Amino acid sequence: MCGIAGIIYRQPELYKNLGIDLLQLIQPLETRGPDSCGVGIYSNSVSHNVKILLFATEQVAWEEVKKWLHNQAQVIKFDVIGSGRRIIIDTNNQALDLAEFKHHLATHFPQIHLMSVGQLLEIYKEVGTAENLFQRYQLKDFSGSHGIGHTRMATESVVDTYHSHPFTSAPDLCLVHNGQISNYYKLRFFLEKKGIEFETDNDSEAIAHYIRYQLLQGFSLEQALQNLLNDIDGTYTFLVATSDKIALVRDKFAAKPAVIYETPEMIAIASEYRCFLSLPHYNPNAKISEPDAGEIKIWSTNNTQQSTRFNTNSQLIANS
Amino acid sequence: MQTIPQQIVIDCTNLTTREINQKLKALAASESIPAKLLNPAGRHNLAVGITQIAIAIDGPVGYYCGGLSDNVNIEVFGDCGWSVGENLMSGNITIHGNASANTAASAHGGKICILGNAGPRAGISLKGATLIVSGNVGYGSAFMMQQGCMIVCGDAGANLADSIYEGAIFVGGEINSLGADAKLEPMNDTDWQLLEQELSALNISARDYNFKKVICAKQLYHFKAKDWGNY
Repeated sequence: MCGIAGIIYRQPELYKNLGIDLLQLIQPLETRGPDSCGVGIYSNSVSHNVKILLFATEQVAWEEVKKWLHNQAQVIKFDVIGSGRRIIIDTNNQALDLAEFKHHLATHFPQIHLMSVGQLLEIYKEVGTAENLFQRYQLKDFSGSHGIGHTRMATESVVDTYHSHPFTSAPDLCLVHNGQISNYYKLRFFLEKKGIEFETDNDSEAIAHYIRYQLLQGFSLEQALQNLLNDIDGTYTFLVATSDKIALVRDKFAAKPAVIYETPEMIAIASEYRCFLSLPHYNPNAKISEPDAGEIKIWSTNNTQQSTRFNTNSQLIANS
Repeated sequence: MQTIPQQIVIDCTNLTTREINQKLKALAASESIPAKLLNPAGRHNLAVGITQIAIAIDGPVGYYCGGLSDNVNIEVFGDCGWSVGENLMSGNITIHGNASANTAASAHGGKICILGNAGPRAGISLKGATLIVSGNVGYGSAFMMQQGCMIVCGDAGANLADSIYEGAIFVGGEINSLGADAKLEPMNDTDWQLLEQELSALNISARDYNFKKVICAKQLYHFKAKDWGNY
């Protein structure tokens, strides 16, 4: 078991509650997965620039990193945040080649992990409790339009910060997953053949890379997730977040739980009903429902909502 | 003179689940006083393996509520998680809200009423109990049902009654699809009488719905490898 949770607001005046709401929603799920906790928060836009979060569990000479970074790009900010750094890079004159950046970073500072990249996304994850994570990074004070969270019970790989959720594979894209991918090796082999580099042995990382690969083929998020339902075998409920959307996908057998809480103000998704009770503005008249087997639901920050059921029309991995 | 039954109130807030269940078992063993649980906060395994007791639970519960119980009368005023009433032997469990997956899994006897929607695999391997859902049921409900009765006023998800052996399922709304070896059977007077009797107790009029009956086609009873393609 793992716990997944997500929030997307319908009214901008509630954005200020994101940190605290996400904590309240994810905390009851610690009993489902006490190994680690993580969140992907869409907060503090740096439009036209890029925000990068770097973390290290070992000692790092951050001054050297800073010097190295200044040679790579135009650094606007280099802030200490917990045991990492939040860096803002000006990309107005010079675009950041992310693949090259990651490659160089890994060569020069192998002990540093790139947590997230984007104009909005910030990923914080750590072994231990939700409360610890939220305190260390002052996450209760975060505001934003949407975010996802995860509590992990490790089944497929080691327990450490980097194998924790959320996983990211592209700027402003992240994913949390409850379940196991049974054709993981086949999927990973397929993606590696396409030149994708994996950073962990976690099966959920493969889903994140798969979605990015699909988007790069020109598929919409919804089409990418439809393809995923055909290509990925296993038990899964997962939430994928982009700069303006949260999508929920439940496998064809509805093997893993998910419940949706919906009010005129917000949508919250969690593994269990009880999570909603602790929301600070819990509305007892909220519409509460469960997604169907093979159902994809996508909510957008501009208040549109899409929902589709599984259909069997493509098998990209088999066909390629 | 009217006797007002006493009620023992248990606040779950500062108790472990084991302590709550031990209190309930002690109550059931000593006297027939109904219990009321406050602040269940969606916790799992409440009122599991209990005999002869009436329990009202004020709020949502988690997984396996009322499972493995016998001769109980449990009412939950809230939603509930997976596998409510799993392997119930006798008595009643009523949920005033939605239920998640595996409602009444393997329940041998008694009655489980969900006054809302139930998730996937409702009534999986049902072994004799009656399961009533006033809303919809999800994917794969009544999978491998062996005995008993399932009444769904709303819609049923895909693969209803897959590999069913015995028993009957009544669906008031749409059936997405039937599973292997399940078939529709015309409704008869006895069926309507049964539905009226069961649903009137819940203030639901059976005639308001276009009930359809699903039973086992019994083709798999005599399965031959050459018939594989049919499934």
